Amino acid sequence: MLPPDGTVVVVGASIAGITAVEELTARGHTGPIVLVEAEVSAPYAKPPLSKAVLSGAAEPESASIPLAESARIRRVRGDAAVRLDVAGSTVGLASGEPLPFDGLVIATGARARTVADLGGNTSGLEERVLRTLDDARRLRDELRTASAIVIVGAGVLGMELASVAASMGIAVTVLSNEAPLLSQCGPFVSALVEREARAHGVELVTDPSGVTLVERGGRLAARLGSTVYEGDLVVSAVGDRPNIEWLAGSGLVCLPGVVVDSRCRVTDRIVAAGDVAAFGSPPRRNPHWSNALDQARTAVAALLNGDEAPEYLARPYFWSDQFSLALKMGGHTPFLGEPDVLAGSLDDLDALVQWRRDGVPYGALAVNRRIAISKLHLAAGNPTANII
Amino acid sequence: MKISVDRTRCEGYGFCEEKAPTLLRLDSDDELEILSEEVGDDQQDRARLAVRSCPVAALRLEE
Ligand SMILES: Cc1cc2nc3c(=O)[nH]c(=O)nc-3n(C[C@H](O)[C@H](O)[C@H](O)COP(=O)(O)OP(=O)(O)OC[C@H]3O[C@@H](n4cnc5c(N)ncnc54)[C@H](O)[C@@H]3O)c2cc1C
Ligand code: SF4
Repeated sequence: MLPPDGTVVVVGASIAGITAVEELTARGHTGPIVLVEAEVSAPYAKPPLSKAVLSGAAEPESASIPLAESARIRRVRGDAAVRLDVAGSTVGLASGEPLPFDGLVIATGARARTVADLGGNTSGLEERVLRTLDDARRLRDELRTASAIVIVGAGVLGMELASVAASMGIAVTVLSNEAPLLSQCGPFVSALVEREARAHGVELVTDPSGVTLVERGGRLAARLGSTVYEGDLVVSAVGDRPNIEWLAGSGLVCLPGVVVDSRCRVTDRIVAAGDVAAFGSPPRRNPHWSNALDQARTAVAALLNGDEAPEYLARPYFWSDQFSLALKMGGHTPFLGEPDVLAGSLDDLDALVQWRRDGVPYGALAVNRRIAISKLHLAAGNPTANII
Repeated sequence: MKISVDRTRCEGYGFCEEKAPTLLRLDSDDELEILSEEVGDDQQDRARLAVRSCPVAALRLEE
């Protein structure tokens, strides 16, 4: 366990890492903290990057994540952790500096997966993705002059990209191996989003054979089945991969992410939270905003208080803006079958609906409804928070 | 310390309410209500947590 004045190294300064730093203070830790971040940018929130920042409705600066300055927090920017020595309790940086620790928070998140990662990029060209602030700025600028784009992947991110581009009057083609959001959210949500996408003029092409990226006239193009699709821009949105390479050789189990126990611990001095962490049995990553918040707080409590800290309570929740739909989902996706309407009306696209199994709620969806997250958790059958 | 909300940005996610229920609340129309603009010394950690948890950065703290 970590003494209150021990040194804590936090690797990754995004929502999980920053939450961990503030939670340390809130829980009475008084020792030195070193917050390490590979990127040069000041910390920022990612959800707006595929929404208001991408459309230009909000400035990139508005996405920043504030962190109170403090003399005991040293912030390293533009330098990556490249090594973890568990026995020697030291993190090694790319610059060569060793960082000894009493406690370590692994919050290195994830990066965009590419079609190349899936073995389907034969073009020899670099793919375009959306994950970082720099990606978002570049894509925003390019969308301003684009007239047609091709998006590979019809998951939550691919369809958000499609929404923004369509709203800017750009001709959008989405290529995918299955219907929009189908495996993640289930057939009801999928059909809802598909209908909206088509109503907004998006061309959706689905073919289980999978997309291959090819080169056409020096530019990236995408082949699905026997057709090659070209646009001003081809963007890959095919999921994410945990940033675990720096842990190679550490002996930590990193598949499908850094595997943690019921309190987000790897050892009694090392914890992990957010997109990089894999929790439960079988261990699964849950790459969403609210999960990063809850896990970071659970992890820090466990670092300081060991087994007396509360266990992590999974309360799945995420949201997505899709065309004219603001969706908020709680509970265990995918949702199967027809839901019960608890409030509003689906015909008006303003509703709160619920899925049950054997009479017990396991999922809820709010469509174009402002609803307190606590109420949505309740409708979704999620447990009440144990770590406020 | 004072807390304020930019209503044009707030989308009613309610993360802030969950982190600082004594300062912020979504009312019956799920509009965000600031229960106490002035943040007491014992509430500052919660206020920061609330500000940071908002995914659209709609909340602001002034020291
Ligand atoms: C465009 C986009 C839109 C999204 N929209 C939503 C949404 O609407 N709703 C929702 O719930 N979720 C959404 N998400 C997911 C959500 O943003 C993530 O779950 C969240 O960012 C996870 O936070 P994290 O701190 O765990 O990891 P990340 O945000 O991935 O941060 C990890 C940090 O670690 C740094 N890092 C990595 N490796 C190293 C290293 N070796 N050394 C030092 N630093 C390192 C990285 O540079 C990064 O800053 C979205 C994500 C993206 C990309
Ligand atoms: S978390 Fe942000 S968006 Fe959500 S209710 Fe609070 S201020 Fe509004």
